Amino acid sequence: MSVIRTEKLTRRYGVRRGVDGIDLEVGPGETFGFLGPNGAGKTTTIRLLMGLLKPNSGRAEIVGLNCWRESARLKHAVGYLPGDLRLYPWLSLRSAVTIVSRIRQQHIQPRAAELADSFELEPNLPVRKMSRGTRQKLGLVLAMAHRPKLLILDEPTSGLDPLMQSVLADLVREAATAGQTIFFSSHTLSEVEALCDRVAIVRHGQLVVDEPLHALREQAPRTVELVYDSVEAASAVRLPEFLAMRQQSKSELQCELRGPTPPLLAWASQQPLVDIRISHPDLDAVFHSLYHNAETGG
Amino acid sequence: MLGLLTKTLREIWLPTLLVASGLFGVNILLTVLIPKVQEGFEEVFDKLPFVESMLQALLGTELGDQMAAEAMQAVLWVHPIVLTLLWFHAISLSTRVPAGEIDRGTIDFLLGLPVGRRQLYWSEVLMWLATGLLLLAFGFAGHRLASPAMPEHMRPETHVALMMMTNLYCVYLAVGAVGFLVSSLASHRSRAIAVVFALVLGSFLLNFAAQLWEPAGRVAFLGILEYYRPAVVLQSGEFPTSDVAVLLTIACVSLAAGSEIMARRSICTV
Repeated sequence: MSVIRTEKLTRRYGVRRGVDGIDLEVGPGETFGFLGPNGAGKTTTIRLLMGLLKPNSGRAEIVGLNCWRESARLKHAVGYLPGDLRLYPWLSLRSAVTIVSRIRQQHIQPRAAELADSFELEPNLPVRKMSRGTRQKLGLVLAMAHRPKLLILDEPTSGLDPLMQSVLADLVREAATAGQTIFFSSHTLSEVEALCDRVAIVRHGQLVVDEPLHALREQAPRTVELVYDSVEAASAVRLPEFLAMRQQSKSELQCELRGPTPPLLAWASQQPLVDIRISHPDLDAVFHSLYHNAETGG
Repeated sequence: MLGLLTKTLREIWLPTLLVASGLFGVNILLTVLIPKVQEGFEEVFDKLPFVESMLQALLGTELGDQMAAEAMQAVLWVHPIVLTLLWFHAISLSTRVPAGEIDRGTIDFLLGLPVGRRQLYWSEVLMWLATGLLLLAFGFAGHRLASPAMPEHMRPETHVALMMMTNLYCVYLAVGAVGFLVSSLASHRSRAIAVVFALVLGSFLLNFAAQLWEPAGRVAFLGILEYYRPAVVLQSGEFPTSDVAVLLTIACVSLAAGSEIMARRSICTV
């Protein structure tokens, strides 16, 4: 059974577009990246999943429960970090854990203490004295302390310093290893790339891609630098179809590889090369191209 | 619900205690001052006739030629400071959910927990009902503490005082319940407060105008204070059943409507 399932999920704000016909399916134990620029519809989708907004049409389910009608029930299985987290000024880690434990009717103190240690949170510091990053850490502790089946994190790294981003990444990996499902929304490709198994990209309220990360990597172009033994050899070369010339500088050619590497290696072994350098797949280029194609209808 | 009640209590105990202390103090002062003021009323009415109309509007009854001692006792329960403190409390508590939570952006966190919207709404209602009783208890305690300073013939009997307080509590319920209804429709607390305040002020002015201007008298039934006449209760010694029934109906209908609206609307932090 899917942990998250949406069908033609649509929500409009008057004439403004929210999300339009979103179809998603996230399985148990998956770490799912939900990418998109600001205003693309990520937070609206999450608010529909959390039952804060009523869909205009379509449906959304979490662990088989309807997100609008059975919202309170399904949240026993969900830990949620809102995108723009606001907390009560008087709340401290200690008072928050007490209140959330009572509301969840679950003893979350031991796990909350572990998480607070990881995030270096002071137990009695009130929210009004916390920096934005510290508030975010408190939100993360409260979202994760009950070991939910599904963790919905809306731009969780915002406000966190690089050290704490790395702590969060470790905790997300740990949660995924323990079988928890993670729905990770972000507009930063690198953090999704480092953590997620699958990625969906939303733009102007519509999904433009929903694929495993390895499949996207296969589509991603790589830069290949070919260094010939002479300028003449470099000028005389006839590139195969899978290589596209970007630029030539004396005896060095910079090309874009389209497709897998074995044909390149076979071809290169016949060339008078003194060096060859192949870059990592450039996912940024894929995402830029997807955004661009979606915008131009390509 | 215990977690929600803990959270609400943490936020409202201090303002509630301040308002309760205010009522306690004001009722002590009024209980001590009213007999002294009464002695000079005939003279004041001769010089400033509108004062008599004002007092009649507040008390909800004709004062007659003589300022009855019973009517004067009722001033304690209709004094603008007393009403203002009670209404301030009713309005400020009733607009906390959902308008207040949306306004300060905490609703996303709150509804991210396994909390039903109706559960959230009724937990706030419960605290508002309980703190309303506490306020009246403090007010009554202040009055009782100072009542030895009142001439014996001016002291109301306990059962009559309880009847007046029941009527006053129903006014508190009606005002607060309308507050909950308005709040359930709003996303900004300041707007919700402004609307409820305007309704209460309008009601107060209507009640006052009805004493001076006949056309206003024809629509006086629309004002909440039309159903709160402590001087009549003091004079008759009878429980104001119909007034209480009207106020309770307003409260129940508003609360139920507010609960349903809150459960069915989309809630979006703005």
